[in-house]
Amino acid sequence: MSRYETHIGLEIHIHLSTRTKMFCGCDAKFGDEPNTNVCPVCMGWPGTLPMLSGAAVELGYRTAHALGCTLSRRTVFVRKQYFYPDMPKNYQISQFHDPVGRDGLLGVPMPDGGVKTVRIRECHLEEDAGKMIHAGEITLLDYNRAGYPLLEIVTEPDLRSGAEAEEFLRYFRRLVRHLGVSDGNMEEGSLRCDANVSVAPEGAGLGTKVEIKNLNSSRFVRLALEHERERQTALLSEGGAVLQETRLWNENRDRTEPMRTKESSRDYRYFPEPDLPPFVPSGRFLSMIGGSVPELPAALAERFVREYGLSPDLAGAVTDDRAEAEFFERTVKRAAALSGGTVPPDGALPDGTGREVALWMTGELRKVLGRAGVTLTESRMTSERLAQIVALLREGRINGRIAKRLVSEAVTRDAEPLEVVAREGLELLSTEEALLPYVQRVLASEREVTAAVRSGDTAKAEYLVGRVMAETGGRADPPLVRMLIDRLAAGVPAAKERR
Amino acid sequence: MIDRYERLEPVRLRWRNLVSSPAAYRSRVAEREAKVHALIEFRAPDPGCIPRPEAGPLSGLPFAVKNNIAVGGWNLTCGSRMLAELAAPYSATAVGRLTGAGAVVTGTANLDEFGMGSSTANSFAGPTRNPWDLSRTPGGSSGGSAAAVASGEVPFALGTDTGGSVRQPAAFCGIYGLKPTYGAVSRFGLVAYASSLECIGVLAESPELAEAVFAGMRGRDPLDHTSVSWTPAPDRPVRTVAVLRDTAALSDEVRAVYKRSVASLGALGYDTVPVELPALEYAAAAYYTIATAEASANLARFDGIRYGLRPYYAESPEQLVTEARTKGFGPEVKQRIMLGTFVLREGFREQFYQRAQRIRAAIGRELERVFETADVLLSPVYPVTAFRLDDPAMDGFTQKTADIYTVMANLAGLPALSFPAGLSDGLPVGLQVTAPAFAEASLFRFAQRFRDVFPPPVCPLRDSEPVRDRGGRA
Repeated sequence: MSRYETHIGLEIHIHLSTRTKMFCGCDAKFGDEPNTNVCPVCMGWPGTLPMLSGAAVELGYRTAHALGCTLSRRTVFVRKQYFYPDMPKNYQISQFHDPVGRDGLLGVPMPDGGVKTVRIRECHLEEDAGKMIHAGEITLLDYNRAGYPLLEIVTEPDLRSGAEAEEFLRYFRRLVRHLGVSDGNMEEGSLRCDANVSVAPEGAGLGTKVEIKNLNSSRFVRLALEHERERQTALLSEGGAVLQETRLWNENRDRTEPMRTKESSRDYRYFPEPDLPPFVPSGRFLSMIGGSVPELPAALAERFVREYGLSPDLAGAVTDDRAEAEFFERTVKRAAALSGGTVPPDGALPDGTGREVALWMTGELRKVLGRAGVTLTESRMTSERLAQIVALLREGRINGRIAKRLVSEAVTRDAEPLEVVAREGLELLSTEEALLPYVQRVLASEREVTAAVRSGDTAKAEYLVGRVMAETGGRADPPLVRMLIDRLAAGVPAAKERR
Repeated sequence: MIDRYERLEPVRLRWRNLVSSPAAYRSRVAEREAKVHALIEFRAPDPGCIPRPEAGPLSGLPFAVKNNIAVGGWNLTCGSRMLAELAAPYSATAVGRLTGAGAVVTGTANLDEFGMGSSTANSFAGPTRNPWDLSRTPGGSSGGSAAAVASGEVPFALGTDTGGSVRQPAAFCGIYGLKPTYGAVSRFGLVAYASSLECIGVLAESPELAEAVFAGMRGRDPLDHTSVSWTPAPDRPVRTVAVLRDTAALSDEVRAVYKRSVASLGALGYDTVPVELPALEYAAAAYYTIATAEASANLARFDGIRYGLRPYYAESPEQLVTEARTKGFGPEVKQRIMLGTFVLREGFREQFYQRAQRIRAAIGRELERVFETADVLLSPVYPVTAFRLDDPAMDGFTQKTADIYTVMANLAGLPALSFPAGLSDGLPVGLQVTAPAFAEASLFRFAQRFRDVFPPPVCPLRDSEPVRDRGGRA
């Protein structure tokens, strides 16, 4: 029984996070009323010409660079021609022979701890089409999206399973969000993915390629590719041949089906776009791109595990977003400084502060931000404030309940934690000196109960602890209170009174 | 510079007077329009809207705009049923600069549909007629612009020159026609036919006026990435004129005028050097291959969905588009779209489109060599003079092959100016001078010198008085 190998390549489109469309000044944002973010240029009116967005070019080059691509010194735009109602010019301005970047590499961390290296064939810029909506017997067209800047990334068929493809997509999404070039959101359509999959006997090279479309989430990518692998393997092992075609993933039926239209056999009649001269990046542009790539998420997460003692999961959660990762590091260093610790020269603090900060960022703070409907960077939580809260916790001056309150007030009331604690006297009473007056007062008012405690009644002792907690507004440290009560009740002088 | 524009003062005054009474102006234009049908739409300007005389030479001058160049608030039919109802929501940059300099748009000019043709007979609005002989074509595709200027409706008009469409009608109508250096004038607002070949050009009564209009329009436009900052070639006087040796393709009449003009160059003070351009043999084929390829893409947007002719009902998007384009386009346009689609097809592209681009590069190199030894190149514009509107010998194919002299400037991106060089059988014969990129000044200097020695005849229709009708209305 021969074994079969699966070869999967992905074609990914991401919406670049520019303010305007690719070739005109219209806003590139989701959700507005149909046909309101349009102008003569992106509607393909006669006499209009494309104006290339510098921001889109920059984000395209940045992404290509982060993917390890060789960057083009002379990138050329072409017209890709076909008729479709959502295409205002009935050609798409795209790239073909001279894309922004090619021959790159991406190392994707896998769940088993290993790294899967996937070759990137090329990255190129192009404009998006509008949206067609079928409503019964009529077809509606919204051109708001026409002219959005897209970057298409094509991988070599290096992926070997649906699961690997899913991991690739997940990591790719983290990467583009980390770089700030795209939201990378499949549900919102800012990341789209088609797959090419072929199955062949092991060692026999690539089989017949089948294109799979209509993959609307990374989970469907995995399911569709697994299904396709089974389908092709079954065909081949029965002696049949795989037809080269385009198939659509049917998510309701959990299977791929042949595409009925003839879209897949188009001749695009490419020729260089005469309205746009080739873009030749200057030396300054290239060094700006070269210098701008921050630590990639995997490397960053790995560093956080090493330097701050975070678990891989926690490190991953905190490095999804570059701004949040920077916030984390700033907070940790500040918290250490506030607690009177010295920050080691290499910045590493394996004393648990990092873990504390990460837990609060991914737990309570995320909840509070979600309720307030703001992101971390939009909110009033600063790294200084979170550092104050963590420092107070680590010094034992507040407990978890108070910390939660401080997090909430920082966000919703713009409150500085140290001020709140001072103003409202929220500090824990955690020394004998601080607690003594309260304990003495309570014991003095409960002579009978105290006598019972002296005789060994532990239940009554707990009652007295409760009374002290109430007197201190919950700021007392229960074990310490209990100890003091036991001692005083037994007639042992308090530490201060001893000589 | 001041000298040249001072010559325009009498012109400006004359036209301000003509235009100052809307009724008189309307009547003047109506009388000519009844004969030549140069304009698609005409609006006499409200005297209150005419700018006061400023220092600028264009201030107060009326002009017509070829109807494939957008003028905000006017129709943009492009001579096509497809866009018969389309109103331009913005103005072309070139138009805006001229109105900013004080000139006033008074009409949109007829044209061959989408600029495709050499006769202005391919217009949904019917043909325009040559003011010199109403049974003949004014040339094309900017025939309306040429006829409007030659007949005295306006002193200048904007046209577009993709393969000679400004220069050939100027030659047929006995006026001046400038095709600027590619990129010198913004193409924003010019409805694209062949993007890498076409320019907005000027048709005018005099070389001074053409120069003033060009100066008012040119310069980089951020809306057009192929436009460039105006950096003129070093201002040298024209001393040496290259002349094309091979005149076999010309009609006897045109050849006679050409040879006479060449012979007079010495008397005008120029040295001459005869040249040959072997690549000219392939020029028309290369031109039509590239132009139709670009046109097939540029005209793809006309599908009736967002604007333009739209059938009332269709079963599917495909049917809607097919019907709109079948009904909206004339036969010449359809033919060029099909040709252009063909030459870009996978499997044919190397043989046709890419080969044409190589020929184009060769023509550019040959012209570069010419300008190593000469300042301008003198050549014919068209093998024949204005042909009859119903002339069977001048069918679509013949018209195309006759473009060899004009297309080379478009293929190489160089400036060229056609000027009146004489009459033959009562019809104007025009010749052209071509110069290196950004050397438009050489063209104007040459044309002025030639004109000073050989003043061209004015079309009889131009200065004729309007007929007063019996009701006493002017």
